[in-house]
Amino acid sequence: MDFKTTETAEATEVRLTGRLEFTDHDRLGVIAAVVQGARTQRFVIDMIDLEFIDSAGLGMLMILQEEAETRNIKMILRNLRGDVKRSIDLARLGEIIAIEA
Amino acid sequence: MDAAVSDTSPDLPAPRAFSVLRDRVPPDMAARVAARFGAAGAGPESGDADGGAAGIPGDGGPGPAVEAQLMERADHDRLRAAFDRNPFLTVELGEGADEAAALLDDWSGVSAADHPHWPGFYLSLTTGSAYGLQCAVLVCDELVRRGVLDPQRRSNTELCLHEAIANAIVHGNLGLSSATKSQPGGYRLFSQMMRDRLDDPAVVRRRLDIFCRWSDRAIAIAVVDQGGGFDTDLAPAVTGGKARSGRGFVFMRALAARVTVTDGGRCTVLHFDRGPGDRSPADHSQADLLTG
Repeated sequence: MDFKTTETAEATEVRLTGRLEFTDHDRLGVIAAVVQGARTQRFVIDMIDLEFIDSAGLGMLMILQEEAETRNIKMILRNLRGDVKRSIDLARLGEIIAIEA
Repeated sequence: MDAAVSDTSPDLPAPRAFSVLRDRVPPDMAARVAARFGAAGAGPESGDADGGAAGIPGDGGPGPAVEAQLMERADHDRLRAAFDRNPFLTVELGEGADEAAALLDDWSGVSAADHPHWPGFYLSLTTGSAYGLQCAVLVCDELVRRGVLDPQRRSNTELCLHEAIANAIVHGNLGLSSATKSQPGGYRLFSQMMRDRLDDPAVVRRRLDIFCRWSDRAIAIAVVDQGGGFDTDLAPAVTGGKARSGRGFVFMRALAARVTVTDGGRCTVLHFDRGPGDRSPADHSQADLLTG
């Protein structure tokens, strides 16, 4: 998985590319650092270019959500599609994390 | 390189020869293949030391034989090349592995000796190679290529297989518990522990075996590791709210026709329907391909 970070006045955004899976735990710490250093109250994870997410990847989203909550930052998942949407729907993550189309 | 082996029954597909990518098959290895993969009654034979031809358990004899591809180190391209030869058995011995140690590895964890004429294939990798190989993609590519897996069913099959493989690697062979991630900052510790285990030669030599078999109606895929196993009663059946782990089995149970766990948690067997329509008990009986 690769990612690119952008920050505007309104939101900090991370755009994920490729596959988010159990081999990506090292990357989680880097993305968590983005949350910890965010200067906005919105943290958006854009998944338009994410092809696949496994249960470990969903666990990473939960950890990022907790990091955001701790800092009163609202985390939002955006642009879910295909297999990624299937996994997130199966895990009912929408009950816990905000999702935008 | 391949040698024809005469069949003993006109009703069965012709057995395939045993062939290898290495110069020769060590006699011990040939004996193990013969014992495990259906060459019962055929004495082990050593390989051809000169020409790269393989030792063939049962070669020229009456017993069935399986075609195998052995390689010192597996990567995506080598495995694709091996699969293109339609072997039954593909085994990575391990890069730089001591030959004697490699022969002692239990790379055939699932009994494939029963019904060697049934269609299927068996892939055995070291954990070090399997970790970065996206094995579920490779195996599903191969199932589609062989006309076994309907591309429309691939996505769910691949996710289930991926989860079984991830469990086998992370919790089985690497011996890591997700409980670590529940501690404050535990994901950093988990990540460090994973790196440490992947740096341990003894750990990365542990085997991950993937065994696929199919009938007209069903596919069964076994994923076998060499870890400490786990209590299958603890595998969650439903999504765990804010839990940081445990969703892999939820996915498998939701998307596969059936999931069975054996060998104290070291073997997960996924059953999938092949035909159109919903699952049915009749389909499931067809799926008992790995247990006979």
